[in-house]
Amino acid sequence: MRKLLNLSVAALLLAGGVYLYAEDEHEEHEHHASSFVAKPMSKQEKATVLLYQKECGACHFAYQPEFLPKRSWDKTMNSLNNHFGTDATLDPSDHKTIQNYLVSHASKNDRMTGMGGEIAMRISETPNFKHEHREIPKKMVTQADVKSFANCASCHTKAASGSYREREIRIPNYGSWE
Amino acid sequence: MKYLAIVWMFSMSLMAASPEVVQYMNELSKTAKAENSSFSGFDAARGKEIFTSTHTGKQGKPMACTSCHTTNLSNNGKNSLTGKVIDPLSPRANPQRLTSTKEVNKWLKRNFMDVYAREGSAQEKGDVLTYIMKN
Ligand code: HEC
Ligand code: HEC
Ligand code: HEC
Repeated sequence: MRKLLNLSVAALLLAGGVYLYAEDEHEEHEHHASSFVAKPMSKQEKATVLLYQKECGACHFAYQPEFLPKRSWDKTMNSLNNHFGTDATLDPSDHKTIQNYLVSHASKNDRMTGMGGEIAMRISETPNFKHEHREIPKKMVTQADVKSFANCASCHTKAASGSYREREIRIPNYGSWE
Repeated sequence: MKYLAIVWMFSMSLMAASPEVVQYMNELSKTAKAENSSFSGFDAARGKEIFTSTHTGKQGKPMACTSCHTTNLSNNGKNSLTGKVIDPLSPRANPQRLTSTKEVNKWLKRNFMDVYAREGSAQEKGDVLTYIMKN
């Protein structure tokens, strides 16, 4: 069975949960996070999640914070003026709210074993991720409809709701993955 | 006559923006005047040039505003860096546009960096907004 990521009530309600990948080899992972009973989010928590999704989802899919540890998010947030070659700066108040949100929902696992001491800025460059995606032919990723592994939602049709189950995968122009 | 036509066009174009953004344009206009005494109002034709011309961007590669927003502002654009679809920039096609000073300010800063590798001047920002409002 698949371990669930360390989920917040906020992420649970809005996103329905995130599935952890490749921590352990898996057979079946049928349960869904939304079946958990969660406390309703406060107005403020809801506003924070919406702010995160708006700001960090403006140029690409709003990645769930559970995919990277605190030190990755700190590094990301401290270099938004040069964020993968673009300017993603925020006003100081939004910056602080988002950094707190990312850090408090970050992965508890470091996820960077084998990276030679480097701090991962990309989810798609962590050893976990690479392992989980090792069987996918390059041409399926570099095609125009996907572009790069950063485009989670182009293959994971339910990624926006935090679900990455195999039966929900549809690779553009290739179809499902079984 | 020519002057009247310009005033008319300017006020028509301002109708496409919210009061908040109209106020922002007024401030840009004051700054532009302070920075350049020969400044005599924003101009959509200069704005078009800013929007459609190609420059060496932040990544050292050729970039234009149209790289992401395309030349037809009523259509969807596509982020050339990430592939994500961008809703139309024209306030006529997309009433959400140019309604928040905070949004406009944030994106102009970022997008001038992307395309020009520097921030835009008050005049450039006003010119390009005037162009966007008319399209
Ligand atoms: C102005 C556009 C823009 C904004 C806003 C933005 N990003 Fe990005 N982001 C990018 C680009 C461009 C890339 C590189 C995409 C690629 O390689 O396909 C990227 C990549 C990433 C990646 C790496 C994805 C991977 O695993 O390969 C992460 C993580 C990320 N962004 C987090 C954030 C966070 C957190 C925020 C909000 C604070 C944010 N981004 C806001 C443009 C943006
Ligand atoms: C080109 C399509 C594609 C992209 C883009 C992609 N994935 Fe995947 N992903 C897959 C496929 C296919 C699998 C199943 C691989 C296997 O089992 O061999 C998978 C597996 C996963 C799993 C494990 C799910 C499970 O139940 O086993 C997670 C979690 C995941 N991906 C997250 C992500 C995230 C986060 C991103 C973006 C940073 C992303 N993926 C981008 C295709 C993609
Ligand atoms: C790298 C891609 C990219 C380039 C190049 C780019 N933009 Fe943008 N622009 C965006 C994105 C993404 C948004 C926000 C999208 C959204 O709100 O849906 C945006 C939003 C805007 C907005 C905010 C409108 C509003 O009120 O919501 C304005 C104004 C704007 N861009 C003008 C420009 C100008 C002027 C240039 C050239 C100097 C330019 N853009 C170049 C990607 C780009």
